[in-house]
Order: sequence, then C-alpha cells, then structure tokens
Amino acid sequence: MGDLNAKADYVFKVVLIGDSAVGKSQLLARFAKNEFNVDSKATIGVEFQTKSLLIDGKMVKAQIWDTAGQERYRAVTSAYYRGAVGAMLVYDMTKRQSFDHMTRWLEELRGHADKNIVIMLIGNKCDLETLRAVPVEDAKEFAEREKLYFMETSARESTNVETAFLTALTEIYGIVSKKTLSADGDSEKSASLKGTAILVDQDANSGAKGGGCCG
Amino acid sequence: MMNILRKDPGLPTDSFYEVRAGFSDGPKTNFRIKAGKTLSEKRWRASFTDEGCLDIGKCLSRIYHGGIHPSIRGEVWEILLGCYDHKSTFEEREQIRQRRREQYAELKESCSRMFPTVGSGKFITARVITANGDLIQDPNVDLGTNPEKPPTLQSEETVAREHDKEIIQWKLALHQIGLDVVRTDRTLMFYEKQENLAKLWDILAVYAWFDKDVGYGQGMSDLCSPMIMLLEDEADAFWCFERLMRRLRGNFRCTGNSVGVETQLDSLANVTQVVDPKLHRHLEHLGGGGYLFAFRMLMVLFRRELSFGDSLYLWEMMWALEYNPELFSLYEGGDETNSKSDTLRLKRKAIRQYGKYERANRRNRARVKPGSEPEPGSVSPLPISVFLVASVLKDRSDKLLTEARGLDDVVKILNDISGNMDAKKTCTGAMKIHKKYLKRQKRHSFQIPWLVSNAS
Repeated sequence: MGDLNAKADYVFKVVLIGDSAVGKSQLLARFAKNEFNVDSKATIGVEFQTKSLLIDGKMVKAQIWDTAGQERYRAVTSAYYRGAVGAMLVYDMTKRQSFDHMTRWLEELRGHADKNIVIMLIGNKCDLETLRAVPVEDAKEFAEREKLYFMETSARESTNVETAFLTALTEIYGIVSKKTLSADGDSEKSASLKGTAILVDQDANSGAKGGGCCG
Repeated sequence: MMNILRKDPGLPTDSFYEVRAGFSDGPKTNFRIKAGKTLSEKRWRASFTDEGCLDIGKCLSRIYHGGIHPSIRGEVWEILLGCYDHKSTFEEREQIRQRRREQYAELKESCSRMFPTVGSGKFITARVITANGDLIQDPNVDLGTNPEKPPTLQSEETVAREHDKEIIQWKLALHQIGLDVVRTDRTLMFYEKQENLAKLWDILAVYAWFDKDVGYGQGMSDLCSPMIMLLEDEADAFWCFERLMRRLRGNFRCTGNSVGVETQLDSLANVTQVVDPKLHRHLEHLGGGGYLFAFRMLMVLFRRELSFGDSLYLWEMMWALEYNPELFSLYEGGDETNSKSDTLRLKRKAIRQYGKYERANRRNRARVKPGSEPEPGSVSPLPISVFLVASVLKDRSDKLLTEARGLDDVVKILNDISGNMDAKKTCTGAMKIHKKYLKRQKRHSFQIPWLVSNAS
C-alpha cells in the first residue's frame, strides 16, 4: 500500500460501516482531525481519511474508509472491504433499528472481508442518554455472542472515540506484529490476518463508558 | 481603460445564495456575473420572438462563456433541460406548465393518501415500515425502548401490515430521504426554513413514487436542492428535477450487485485509456481500474468539490454544451415523421442550435459511419460529465503518476480537489479531451471494433 509520507511501519486498513446517519463520518472526523461538523453531509460512495499514530514504538498508519449507509450502495462499498484488517460497526444508540441491523452488516462484512478481521461494535451518540433506545446489556450480549469488541462513543463530545479506534488498532497491531516476526524484512507492511487467532483477553480498564470491551 | 475592461472582476453571486451566519459554504465561489459575458435577463428576453419562440444559439454560447445571471436561472434551466421546446410559443409553454402542475398535484395527492405526512409541511427521519411491510406505528417512539413491549410481540399482534410491494418499497425510502434532507445544503439560509426542508422532502418522496425503478438514492437530494431554490413553484421544481433525472437516473438504478453509475465509470476508464493510457495503466496497477474513486463526482455532478454557486455554474455550462433541440420531443415521445423533417430543416440552417459538445458528437458520428445520418433526437453516446472527470484526472496526472502508490493515495489526491477546482477550466479541459478522444477513436476505429459500435 502506498503512503504519501512513506514513514509508516504498518498500514492498517479499517472500514466504517453501519446504517445511514448513525455518525460514521463524524466518528472519523473526530478521530482523524478532531472535528465535529454541525453541517455534516451524507457520504456518497466511499470517503477516506488517514491518521498516523505510535503503537509500541512503531509508526502505524490507520487508513480508514468511510462508506455510504444506504443499503443500495452496498454493492459498491463492499468492494472496499477487501484488505481491511479492522472494521468499526456503528449503530446509533438512540435508534433501535440501527442496532437491529448490525446482524446484517456483520453478515455482509464476514462475507466480503478477511475471516479474522478485528471488529469493534460502536454505539454512537451516547451523549443523548435520555433518548437511549439500545440498552448496554443488549449490545454487550450481542458483542459477546459474535465475539466483537464493544464501546459506546460520542463523536460530538469526543467520548471514547480515540479509545475505540486505539483499541482496535492496538489489537490489530498485536496480531500483525506477532505474525511479522516470521515474515521477511520488508519495512512497510500491509497487514494481513490470515490464519491468526484474534481473540485475546481484553483488559477491562479501557475506559468504555458503560460498555467496556468484550471478547 | 482597455485593461480595466478586460479584467472586469464581475459581481459575486453570494447575495443570491446566502450562507447562514457563522458558517462557511466550504469552497469559495469563483463565478462572477460579468457584463457582456454572462447571460443577462435583458439578453435573454431579447432572444424571444413576439410569440415566444427562442433563438437559443446565442444563449448557448453565452452560457458556456459566462454562465447565467441568478435572477433568470430557473427559467433558463427549464429550457436547457428540455422541460419545454425552445421553438414553442409562450402560450404553448404556459399550457404545458398548467397541465404539469395539475399532474404533480395529482401525484402528490396519491402520495399523501398513502402517507399523510406528504404535503403536510412536515417530514420524517425515522423508519415507518419494516422490510416485511409491518408498519411502525409511531416512528418517534422506538419500539425497543419499552421493555414491556418487545418488538417481536408488537409485530405479531397489533401492528398493521402493508401488503403492496410497491408501497412497501416507497415507504422504506421515506426516512432515508428525511435523513438526507436535514443534511443537504444546511449552510444556506434558504434551508433554515422548515417549509423549504419539507418541500425538498415532498419532491423527493413524490419522485420516488413517480419513478419506482429508481426510487430514492443518496445523492439525489444534492441534485434536487438547487431546483427548489431556483424555481419558486414546487411543481415546476419537481419537473425540472425530473428532467435532470432523465439524464442521471441510470446512475442511481441498482440491481442486486451493481450500481448504475458503474456504466459511466466504465466509460471513464475507456476514455482515460484512450487519452492518457499511461495514467490508466497506473490506476489499473493500483487496483483502481474500476474508477470507483470517481463515484461521487459522477453521482452528484461535482456538488461536493465545488461551492454551491460554482456547481450551478458548472451544471449550466454542461447543459449548454450538451444541448440538443430535440430533447423536448424525445422526452415527450413526439412522433417520428415530425422529427425527421425537423432534422432535415436543422441540417440546413440550425446546427448552431445544438450545444458545442453535442455538435462535435454529431459530426463525428457522420464521419465514423459515413452515409448514416444521426438518428433524429438521439442522445450522445457519452455524457460530458465523463469527460469532466477525465479532465480532473488529467490535470492531476503527473501527481497521480509520481505520488500515488496505492488506491488510498489516489483518493487522497482527488479529495484535495475540493476548493481547488475551477468549473470553467474543467469544462474547457473536458472539451479538449473530448476532441482528442474523438480523433483517436477515429484513428483506432479500424482496429478496435467496439469503439465504432460504441459511437453509433
């Protein structure tokens, strides 16, 4: 994979998926640019941001692909799942339907992406607690059953956004760096998780508000 | 003095499309109203005969060179998009207008019978129906919130069910339209008014029912929004949008595993292969041979790359270049004998009533297949939008070739267009590429059979 600055030790491709208007683009803008746009527009097709960060002394470039939520464009957006080592599965915790659809998004993801992709379930808009329509327990139960990480976030208030991405990226890093010990000496690697077990015990103190990670 | 005249900075159009205080409309607007260049109201009115027949030739080149004055944009767009025949009289157009307004009222009425929020001045953003047809009683009360009434129980017992597949399909789109309406051009003052948001929702909802093959696809709100601002009457705005969709609906049509726009993306790949083979090979090598990175540009015609004002300017230049005087009768399904005699008459004296782009296509077709006349009222093989994207790519060809080492770099380089794209230059560039494409196509037409069939 290319890199305009060519400094990264690792490039991890992560996709953001979920229903329309759950806040995928806002989560990305918050993570990549620390921005929140009150006049955010619908994503048409696929958009994209990168953010470089240090994990375990290594420069990791997260390449995050943001997709349109409307179902009819899945044929196109799912083409971008290829090569993804992580996925943020986003629902709006004030909209039950967007949570109920997680099953279908997960199916879609598992049908197109690498079998061992690291998946983080995200209940966004947790600043709107009074409008909550998805109890934490439901989401936790779902995440446990499907072996996903889980966190509740607020892109607006910047709650847990960094933590959620970092958790996923660190997890990916853990798997990939273990794997590359036996790989050749190429300095920049596009990660592939083939044949790697991803589910390791997660420490509970990662700061998830009411959610925590499971796995 | 000459210098001052030549460098007329023109008048900005910001006052016509006011932005809310504290917001910026993203990229700056380059378009200026320039005396002697922009199609003014005076010039426009002077182009009609007493009966209302329009001499469109001069208007087209004006529009291509200097855009349209915002005060007359709506009515000029109606002609450019083929809502009316420019050769018709004032009276004929008025009759059609009245008939269409009635037709819209009927359409809207049938929609509001199915879902009373249509036409109520309100709109919805939450689902009102499930894919099985179960009606969600009060979309504002989410079923999952009340633990005493689990959703499964509700759908089995009390919830009414819709059985008509077309109605289910339509109702499934309503909340999506709402979710996008609240995110469309919200920096503009115009959409601070609830009634204008509701108008946008109504038109898109009615359109989704009117054109069931397409329904509603994300991006359509971006295309519809300007119509509502330019044409005060809701029905007029609807029909103008409907005409725009005649050109673009193919992009929004979806089958199980493809989106319509992929056809245009394939054309873009073909064009790039012909005019810039090196770039095409590079993109293919990076895994971008499907040109999906151009998806948004083609779907919403550069609305996200340009400011509101400049996208209107780009659109009218495109339509002026593509103008085909047969458009109206083509859309209205006019009878053949009539249009054939029209073509003969046009051949003699009125070729300048075609837009420059359309003219080049016609000339080319006659050349590639000598002896065969262009079909009367036939539409160009490729829309100019494909060449606009090709022009954008060509402008960044060096950068893409030297700096892009992955698909992500391609997307990143193209993302940087926002705010750095010039509508006029892109248009001029597209015309050049089109010319080159036709020339090379001609040269290769003996070796590459598909190019010939593609052009016919």
